[in-house]
This record gives sequence, C-alpha cells and structure tokens, in this order.
Amino acid sequence: MDKVGIVGYNQVKLYSDANYGRYEMIFEAVRGAIDNAGLKKKDITTVISATNDYYDGRTISNCFTVEVGGGYLADESKVEMDGAHAMLYGMMRILSGNHKLAVIWGGSMPSCYPYHSTRLYETDPTWERPNGYVNDITASGFQMRAYMDKYNLQTEDIAKVAVKNRRNAAKNPLALDEAQNPDITTKDVLESEIYSDPVTELMVGQPCDGVAAVLLAPERQALKITDKPVWITGVGYNQETYYIGERELHTSNSMEASAKMAYGMANINDPVNEIDIAELHETCAHEELIFAESLGLAEKGKGPEISSEINGDLPINPSGGALGGNPPCAAGLIRVIEAVKQIRGEAGTYQVNGAKRAIASGQIGMCAQNNIVYVLEGGE
Amino acid sequence: MSEKIIEKTRGLVKADFNFWVGLYMDKFYDSFEQKKIVANKCPQCGEVFVPPRKICGICNIKLPLDENWVQLSDTGTLVNYTRTQYKVTDRRARKSKGFTTLGMVKIDGSNSAIVYPLEVEFDDIEIGMKMKIKWVEKPKGEPSDIEGFVKV
Repeated sequence: MDKVGIVGYNQVKLYSDANYGRYEMIFEAVRGAIDNAGLKKKDITTVISATNDYYDGRTISNCFTVEVGGGYLADESKVEMDGAHAMLYGMMRILSGNHKLAVIWGGSMPSCYPYHSTRLYETDPTWERPNGYVNDITASGFQMRAYMDKYNLQTEDIAKVAVKNRRNAAKNPLALDEAQNPDITTKDVLESEIYSDPVTELMVGQPCDGVAAVLLAPERQALKITDKPVWITGVGYNQETYYIGERELHTSNSMEASAKMAYGMANINDPVNEIDIAELHETCAHEELIFAESLGLAEKGKGPEISSEINGDLPINPSGGALGGNPPCAAGLIRVIEAVKQIRGEAGTYQVNGAKRAIASGQIGMCAQNNIVYVLEGGE
Repeated sequence: MSEKIIEKTRGLVKADFNFWVGLYMDKFYDSFEQKKIVANKCPQCGEVFVPPRKICGICNIKLPLDENWVQLSDTGTLVNYTRTQYKVTDRRARKSKGFTTLGMVKIDGSNSAIVYPLEVEFDDIEIGMKMKIKWVEKPKGEPSDIEGFVKV
C-alpha cells in the first residue's frame, strides 16, 4: 500500500455548551488545521466530513458546511458516522492518486439537541422504538453487565479505568472541564448515581460540543508539508448485527475483525510488544477493556490487568479518551489526533516517552456495533 | 443609538412517518393477538429469529414468506439485565424518580433475546432465570402487548 501521511490536525476545546455557533466551530477546527500546517485553501482538493443529520437538525447537512469546512468549489462528501470513518474515505481518495490534500473533519454540538432521543432514532420504529426500552443508556448497562458476568469481574475493575482516564483528562487542556478530575477515586466513581446498572454516571463519557479536523496527503506531498508526518500503515473496519440481543456484548467481534485486518496490513504479529500506545474510543469505561482485549492487548477477561497508565507498559488513552469528553462524530477522530500527537512528541504533560507506533479507534452504533481501527507510525 | 434585537424562534418540525411493519412483522404482531410468539427459521443456517425477518444477515438470503415459520412458547431464559431511572422518548430523556428494571430474555427455541421490563425484585435477579411473558389483558397486535417478563 502506498503511504498516506497525516500532515496536520486541529481540535477545538470541548465544552458542555460551547456558546458559539456550529459553523464557527467547524471553521475553527478546519482553518486551524490548515494554518498549523502552513497550507492554504487552494491546496484543498477534497473534503470528507462526518456528522449526523439528526444531530445537525437539518438534512443533507453538509450542504451548509461547504464554506466553513474548506469545501467551497472542492469535492466534498459526508459520512454519517464518526470522523474516524471519514478519514478512511479520505485515505482511499489519496490512494486513488487523484488528490494531494484531503481535509477530514467531524463533530457536533449536543448542547443543541436531545442526544439520547437522537440515539433512539437508531432503533427500529416498528419494534423497539415505541417502547424506548432499548436506547444508548440501557445498551451500555447491558454491555457492562455482559462483560463483568462473562469474566467474573468487579465494578472496581471498571471504575479504575474511569479514574485513570479522568485523571489523564486533567492533563489535557482540550478535554471537557467537567471531565478533568485529577483527584478522583474509584470510590467516587462507584458512588456516583446509577446511569444504567451497573454503569454509573462517572463511568460514562459525556456527550459534548466539539469538532476536530485532520489533513491527509500522499507521501511525496506529506514530506514537503511537514517534517513530522505520521503514516497510516494499517486500517481495519467491521460491523455486527443491529440486534443487541443477538450479539456477544462481552466482547467486540467487529473490533477483533478490524484488528486482524489492520495488523495484517501493518505487519503486526505481537500487538502487546509492537504497539507503544493506544487511543481507543470508549463511550463508557468498560468499553476500553472490551476493546483492548479484542485488539489482542490482553487475553479475554484480563483487560483490567493491562498496565495502561501514562507511564505504564502499554498506555491506553493517555489523553483521557472519550471519558474526557465524547463529542459525537468527533470522538474517534480525536483519538487519531491524540495518537498523532504522541508520535510527534506534541502531547505535553501526558506525553508517553518514545511513542512511535500507535493504534487509534473510532466507533458508531449501539454497544459499538461498528468499529474502525488505524495503525499509525512515525517519529523517526 | 443602537438597538440589540434578539429574536428567538421556537419551532417544532412535525414529520410523521407512517412505517409499514412489513409482511413478516405483520405475522409476528398477528400472533401477539393470540398471546403467542412466532419466529422464522433460515433454511440454510437454521437460525431462528425473534422478531422474524425477511433476510438472514448471516447467509444473506431471503426467507420465503410462507415457509419456515416456527411456533415458539412465550418462555425464555434471562441472559442480561439492567435498571435505570432514565426514560427516553423521541423528544427527550429525563430521569424519573423510580427505576425501571429491564431484562434481555432469550426466547426458548431461538437465539434471539428481546428486551422488556422484568417484574422481579432487583436483588432477586439471576442470569439464567427462567422467565415467561406477561401479556396485556387485551393484546392489539403491537409491541406493548408484552408488558414484561415474570419469573416462571
């Protein structure tokens, strides 16, 4: 596979209620990425955006984001998934040989819409939706219980991940203020209110306002644009059935299939030793453990034993992950950005030493029905 | 002199969709009126689906409408459960005072689990419990005909 490089990025600070307009936010993210990379609007030949019509409150919502997203008189497409999925299509366009610079952006502002209601629209209107029993809140409860029950784990094991990520988020100036909890303890997490048993409120990544952007270029251009390109050396993507009652919620079959695909491309045979850091899009703390196991970073059921602190053997979510703020349609792309920062040595106080090869994941759907994972390398 | 005019427009977009449940769900809901569960079976892989469906996703084939129907009992096994104060509608989510306990029950004879309220004390719930559907008194052929599950 030809080399596709990440040559720039930008992410806005996450807020519960950003108090500025969606279009300004998108412009800030995209223009910031272009400016930071020393590029110009005329360099952009293709744009892939990731939003959701229900979150935007308008249909064909990208017809309104043409100007702010850098897509004016350029070719532009929208993906109704996460920004991490949009990056896949940007990557494919670069690999086609037809484009020199792809702008990828994604995000939304849940302060403007009823988030859980819009998630309810994922459900079947002729079966589950009228009752509303299956929604993103209860789905997370079922998923956590399935995982704990299968492997005989305790709520403490899950709470520890929430503590780690919230403390990490406290080192990340762009994370949600409410999620920056430097002194949080497992007791605090376990005693927070029930979200959907056994998930408690502090185990959940709060949906928040945010937009992020990434720039991709083919090898030759990438090397001209930046002296710190990060190469996408592998990608995998897969999805399971819609019916959560027909899935194995204690594991992630789609993440496992995605990992196989990505590792195959990147020639990774021993992920635990070949990967320096992982940024995984976890909507709730327990998902980080499920994903880590499905990615081969631990045996099934042994996720809690990974030494995943910033100074640990295999740091996971040094940025705080989506527990540090979960802007719908941006959270997965932000994991890519955080992995890129680590490889470029730009992660400030949560920098992992010597990070050269990272994995970053994004997801969409109830209980992560669909997963995508990238292998990113650089820092020579 | 300058005037700051702020205009707030409150609008509700009402877009009623009329979804047809389809011939397969139609049969499913018809049997609700008899307080029964029907499912259909993929002739290739043998999976039995609740609710029944036209396409087997695993085999990517169409299940013929007039064949492969299976009458199931309205009993099952509890495979998962949760409880929450949140009530989510297509307008908003709110936290009510009380908890709703929900169970995921795998209907006997199929590999499909469905989600409905559990009429069991939370502390008495055990995964693996045998459950039975509690039907409303006069089912009309809709999802709410199933009130919940009770312990067998």
